[in-house]
Amino acid sequence: MADIGRESILGLDNIRLDLPVAGLGSRSLAAFLDYLVLGLAGVAWLFLGGLVLGYLAPDWFPVFLIFGFFLLDWGFFAGQEIGMGGRTLGKKALKIRVVTAEGGTPGPGALLIRNLVRTLDLVIGVVMMAIDPLSRRLGDRLAGTLVIHDRRPETGPVLGRVPPGWGARELAAVEAFLARAAELEDRVLRREMADRILARIRRDAPEMLAGISADAEPVAAVRRALQAEEP
Amino acid sequence: MDYSRFVRLRKPLWDGFEERLAGSRQREAGYEALEEMALGYRQVLHDHALAASRFPGTAAARRLQGLALEGTRQLTGDRAERSGLLVFFSRSFPRAFQRQLGLTGLALALFLFAAAWGLALAVLRPALGLSLLGPRAVQGLEEGHLWTESLVTTVPPAVASSGIATNNLSVALMAWSGGVLAGLVPLYSLLLNGLMLGAIFGVTLHYSMAGALLEFISAHGPLEITLILVCAAAGLGIGRSLVAAGDRPRALAVRETARDALAVLLGCLPWFVVLGLVETLVSPAPQIPFPLKVLLGLTLEGIFLALAFRSVPEANR
Repeated sequence: MADIGRESILGLDNIRLDLPVAGLGSRSLAAFLDYLVLGLAGVAWLFLGGLVLGYLAPDWFPVFLIFGFFLLDWGFFAGQEIGMGGRTLGKKALKIRVVTAEGGTPGPGALLIRNLVRTLDLVIGVVMMAIDPLSRRLGDRLAGTLVIHDRRPETGPVLGRVPPGWGARELAAVEAFLARAAELEDRVLRREMADRILARIRRDAPEMLAGISADAEPVAAVRRALQAEEP
Repeated sequence: MDYSRFVRLRKPLWDGFEERLAGSRQREAGYEALEEMALGYRQVLHDHALAASRFPGTAAARRLQGLALEGTRQLTGDRAERSGLLVFFSRSFPRAFQRQLGLTGLALALFLFAAAWGLALAVLRPALGLSLLGPRAVQGLEEGHLWTESLVTTVPPAVASSGIATNNLSVALMAWSGGVLAGLVPLYSLLLNGLMLGAIFGVTLHYSMAGALLEFISAHGPLEITLILVCAAAGLGIGRSLVAAGDRPRALAVRETARDALAVLLGCLPWFVVLGLVETLVSPAPQIPFPLKVLLGLTLEGIFLALAFRSVPEANR
């Protein structure tokens, strides 16, 4: 338990699960985008009301306007988060999402609570997020929620066979190299790195290189030798 | 177990779990699918634990962490609280209201104290009315008119209703949310509203217009005051859980109180819209007799209280 960081939760069977907590930067940027959309929605509401209701039922235009702005003021964030499973448009753009403190999907109640105190959070929320290791603002503390990076399960080359004696560091390094090799613009460096991996394979398990021509393109040779495949 | 064997043996299981996760995002999962998903989730969690300790940083470990996180998000959460409006108003709201009855009593006491204080101030110092109501309203009182008459004479009733309803809603929402500042905002809201009501009543007494004021507030006043008291009491509850969490961890106490307080708030909000209509269509209408307005006010209050005090067995928390 002692080494479990504060961003970790204990899941089923007490298995540790690290939550990729979203920090002050990404959350502030998402909020900025949302307020931008809110401003645009307010203007759109005004013009839509002015054009449509002003023509069809001018007497009801102020009513439409008053209730519209009230709903935007108090329901814009909560409505989006309830409708989009803990995300707003800004959060979606930044790939972050609200979850419960246990990593689960928050219910409408928790999402409403965290957004009802948004006015207060405009004043103290940034400071609270800055001093909290889990970047929670007042609304998060009240509702028992967190905002995390919305990472989909990663896909990358997984090694089909491993030379004896290779540990997790070597595996991770080779898999990371194979995942990014195509994006490396420096061809000389890419070749150099692939050659070094091939040299390690030749030293630890020469039989894995059987049937691979010495003139073969090095990255392809590494891929073939280790039977790297996309998961 | 070496890495490649681990991946070869377990990969079909991870693929299956990922497919089920993607499927459940698109449609509601049935019982069997959920059971399969729960089993897959457990296996993925165990594989994640193994990969995180034996093969940290590898593609398999990263994939498993993503699967475990997504599975946790989809399979756990607050879904139980999703219920229909009928269940909410007939069970959740009365339950939450009755749990905070002590605080509602405290809110009433504070409100009455402030109202008595305001009344005494206004009776002893009538000049206070000038500063509270403004010179135009006082001039109207001197001429025998209540300032409330302008509610329907200067703007159409629909606009006045919307304005009043949204204003009252905002006051209730601020009183509720301000509870997180150790209950200071609901306390301020209670004392200010009580003081204002008492003082205004005192001023109208001075100008012999108290009867007209009573007639004006008789239809909407009782419930409006009750709703403000109930919402402020919910805010006070949040403040109390922050300051004095008792034997529970503070975070847990605040979270539990906030859920009850939210149920109370949501149960009150629709009434503000009804009151907005009553306040502009019924309260200032001279053609509606005073007893009828009193009857409407008491009926609205009675319906709200009957709903709030409805006997509901306490749910397991």
